[in-house]
Amino acid sequence: MSTSSPILTVRDLCIDLFTARSALRPVDQVSYSVAAGETLAIVGESGSGKTVLNFAPLGLMPLGVSIHVSGSIRFDDKELVGMNDEALRKLRGGSIGVIFQDPMSALNPARTIRRQIAEVAELHLSLTSTQAEARALDLLKMVRMSDPEARLRQYPHELSGGLRQRVMIAIAIAAEPKLLIADEPTTALDVTVQAQIISLLKDLQKRLNMAMVLITHDMGVVAGIASRLAVMYAGRVMEYGPVQTVLTAPRHPYTMGLIDAIPRAEDLPGSAFRGLPGMPPVLGPPIPGCAFVERCRHAVATCETTRPLLAPTADRHVLAACPIVNRSSEALHAG
Amino acid sequence: MKFLRAFLSTLAGMPKVAVGAVAIFLFLGIFAPWLTPHDPNAQDLLQANQDMSISHWLGTDHLGRDTLSRLIAAARTSVVGMSLVLILALSVGVTIGTIAGYRRGWVEEGLMRIVDVGLAMPSLIVALAVIGIFGTGYWNMILALALAWWPGSARISRAVAVNVMNRPHIESLRVLGASPLRIYFKHLLPTTLGAVLVYATADAGAVALAIATLSFLGLGIQPPTPEWGQMLVDALPYLEASPRQVILPGLALTAVVIGFNLLGEAVALNRVPTPLSAKILRKRQLTAALWTREAA
Amino acid sequence: MPADTALLKVENLVTRFKSVERGKWVKAVDGVSIHLNPGEIVGLVGESGCGKSTLGRSIVGLEKPQSGRVLLDGVDLGTLSGRKLRETRRAIQYVFQDPYASLNDRQTIGEAITEALIIHGVSDHTEQRRRILELLDQVGLPAVLAERYPRELSGGQRQRVAIARSLAVEPRVLICDEPVSALDLSIRAQVMNLFLTLQKELGVACLFIAHDLALVRQAASRVYVMYLGKVIEGGGSLDVYARPGHPYTSALLASVPSADPRIEALREAPVLKGDVPSPTNPPSGCRFRTRCPQAMEICAVNEPATVALSSDHSAACVIAEQVHRGEVIAPKVH
Ligand SMILES: Nc1ncnc2c1ncn2[C@@H]1O[C@H](COP(=O)(O)OP(=O)(O)OP(=O)(O)O)[C@@H](O)[C@H]1O
Ligand SMILES: Nc1ncnc2c1ncn2[C@@H]1O[C@H](COP(=O)(O)OP(=O)(O)OP(=O)(O)O)[C@@H](O)[C@H]1O
Ligand code: SF4
Ligand code: SF4
Ligand SMILES: [Mg+2]
Ligand SMILES: [Mg+2]
Repeated sequence: MSTSSPILTVRDLCIDLFTARSALRPVDQVSYSVAAGETLAIVGESGSGKTVLNFAPLGLMPLGVSIHVSGSIRFDDKELVGMNDEALRKLRGGSIGVIFQDPMSALNPARTIRRQIAEVAELHLSLTSTQAEARALDLLKMVRMSDPEARLRQYPHELSGGLRQRVMIAIAIAAEPKLLIADEPTTALDVTVQAQIISLLKDLQKRLNMAMVLITHDMGVVAGIASRLAVMYAGRVMEYGPVQTVLTAPRHPYTMGLIDAIPRAEDLPGSAFRGLPGMPPVLGPPIPGCAFVERCRHAVATCETTRPLLAPTADRHVLAACPIVNRSSEALHAG
Repeated sequence: MKFLRAFLSTLAGMPKVAVGAVAIFLFLGIFAPWLTPHDPNAQDLLQANQDMSISHWLGTDHLGRDTLSRLIAAARTSVVGMSLVLILALSVGVTIGTIAGYRRGWVEEGLMRIVDVGLAMPSLIVALAVIGIFGTGYWNMILALALAWWPGSARISRAVAVNVMNRPHIESLRVLGASPLRIYFKHLLPTTLGAVLVYATADAGAVALAIATLSFLGLGIQPPTPEWGQMLVDALPYLEASPRQVILPGLALTAVVIGFNLLGEAVALNRVPTPLSAKILRKRQLTAALWTREAA
Repeated sequence: MPADTALLKVENLVTRFKSVERGKWVKAVDGVSIHLNPGEIVGLVGESGCGKSTLGRSIVGLEKPQSGRVLLDGVDLGTLSGRKLRETRRAIQYVFQDPYASLNDRQTIGEAITEALIIHGVSDHTEQRRRILELLDQVGLPAVLAERYPRELSGGQRQRVAIARSLAVEPRVLICDEPVSALDLSIRAQVMNLFLTLQKELGVACLFIAHDLALVRQAASRVYVMYLGKVIEGGGSLDVYARPGHPYTSALLASVPSADPRIEALREAPVLKGDVPSPTNPPSGCRFRTRCPQAMEICAVNEPATVALSSDHSAACVIAEQVHRGEVIAPKVH
């Protein structure tokens, strides 16, 4: 694990979302940090707030929603919470690169690839338009695009999913960001293309010494690229620690269930899939006790009422928000 | 200039003004017969070109007709004309557009070629040409404008319909084996119509302007029916003596056109997600503030 | 199993789209033949953009094939038209990838299912009511959801509703286009188990399109692999996964990431390099040759014939038998 001081430190971040229909808290006291050259993976239930957590503080929210952010996000010695829109706009696409969940809707269908990449370069590197277009070509080469000159003249809909995702990456790294946030960058891709994209991201990360936050559902991707893992459930971090430890020896009951649900080589065709019973809670006001209580095998009466906080487990590097399992593992160690 | 731009952008931010202008316009138009203080067509040459007074709030024109009454009655002419044009244009446009969107392939190609030809010609020129051929007259004007306007709504309807047809929920109906009539009338038409009506808001102002323009040129509403464009022409020779007679109909027309345009723009921009109103936002913030209190 | 008893049979299907390049065509599906036996789950995997969705959509009539036949119970759907076609084809239903878009957001769940029932000719109100409850129960949803709107449901619940609605017309085949890729792991397992139950209890056959190879392996008894518009391998899933006969399949299997970081740490560069060629101008001969580690000169000349590797396993590659026997050093994870 990297020992350098983190470039991104999130402390006790809470995000309240106000919509016309309700108020909800999709991010509830989340803390983590990422150092330069390091990758943090965020996994968790869909709707658990992964996207909101990463994009809302950067000012990227859909119309019709208002947010309230509290806590602290320190990026590169600047505080992002409370920063004005103008400054945030400079950061986005500048020293923070972003890759969205859906590449098709993030690209402008009416512009050539050349224009879309060049635009970002013009904006953030103050290049002239000719310089920027030369830079666009370099970037396409950097993301290992075959036949880059021809690709520059194409429109997004003419590219396959994998190529489109490479364009998104090229745009995201156009200004050589210090932090790259990638929201499910390979969900729509098959495994061979996914392998290429992941290896590309790793390579770029090494070259630019970027910090990276990667949101995904795929534990294989996590294992391949990340050094640290945060597991989210209903807006809260349930477990946080080195990937190696969390994936092979999960402590929190939710993480255990999640990892248990991964199909294994010994599962026979036609055999039932393992998973967790029940549904995640509908987000609303902060849940008073443990958010996972309804689906948890280990739940006891206090889980309903007392909110478990992230605390070090027997392995000091791993934090888990479950006193029950924590206690029994301590007991295990004592005994 | 700078002031004007700032003013306009504030207006855009506050569609309330637009809503107001359009609402007043529609209200006056609908209830005109009960609102006019005088008969808008009653001439009284002894009272010609009068200044504002108790009995004639906005004065009279060169034939002694009450200006306020004529302005209000003109609103009605405009509302009725505009509605007729839009109803005709939308019926034709939405029908053709949704059929093209539903029946892709050569039917679509053929229909859209016709629409493209229609779109290539400026609306007013089309209208002028039609009036040139069929002669002036109220219904000829309505017909001419409807002919000029339907291609626009056909194009939008087709775009909306194609989008709707490609949505998985329509595709899943097709897979379920729903009959074409069910898909067309129960799902495609209502959804498309809803979306197209929104775009039509922006067009309403342009139609009102076109009616006034044609009337100004003597090709639309014929005297003595009160109409803003025509009131302008009527008053022009007396511009110096009573500029108010020119300014008032001009202002009314401008307000309506800007009102509709702003409204159309605002509606198009905020179509699905409407920004939270200050009131709801405060309510939600309060809710959230209570969570923190409870937790503490 | 011989293809004669097949419930659904696709023969030489070709579906093409107009290309953005003038006058050219994208042959998204280029001569595909597959079959489905009654009550069988068959996987369909392959590169993104290789035509899996187009194949599925052509089978249910959402795309119009240029040539080829789709037979249901031996009846060529191409010979039917109008109402007869709609009623026959209703036996094949499609489950879409996006559980958020496949329901009309202005209909309640109950209304959506009722509409499917009406289409299917169930017009009696009490009977409709009974069927709705039965269908919701079949997919494991509480009856109260019938009054809700789609936006009030979670992704997993919506996908179940979409499945319940297709079941309303009593289908015999479900074509599932990445039905769980929008769902997270724990809900994914629940929906997958639902498919297994439907197959066992109702005998519904299922063509299961997915990117997740592990998922397909566990759910499907047979699997087809597509590359650039063609099926390049097909067979019993255990055999295909254990002993693939096509270099692309080997590469695909070797690319599946493992959830164990210790294995991933040993992973070398990606197995496959380069990009999928454009379907507008596919390579001559074998379509995989531009990326195949084993490509030879002959591969550029002739399209490789399909080689039978066992009674139900075949692959379209000149060296299929060697690959199958493991004689070709297939790219390995470590
Ligand atoms: N525009 C919005 N309006 C209302 N609620 C929203 C909006 N965007 C997000 N939410 C809510 O915020 C919560 C968190 O959503 P978010 O998109 O962050 O989830 P996620 O973890 O990224 O899920 P996924 O894995 O499906 O992408 C969800 O419960 C969602 O319902
Ligand atoms: N409506 C269309 N018009 C033009 N080309 C299309 C259309 N639909 C699909 N294609 C093209 O046909 C090819 C096959 O697409 P298809 O969606 O069937 O692939 P897929 O295997 O389902 O991919 P994925 O795994 O990414 O979903 C692609 O090259 C795609 O660009
Ligand atoms: S705190 Fe209780 S409910 Fe929550 S995960 Fe731990 S044991 Fe389960
Ligand atoms: S036919 Fe040749 S190029 Fe194609 S897969 Fe086989 S060895 Fe590779
Ligand atoms: Mg998300
Ligand atoms: Mg697809």
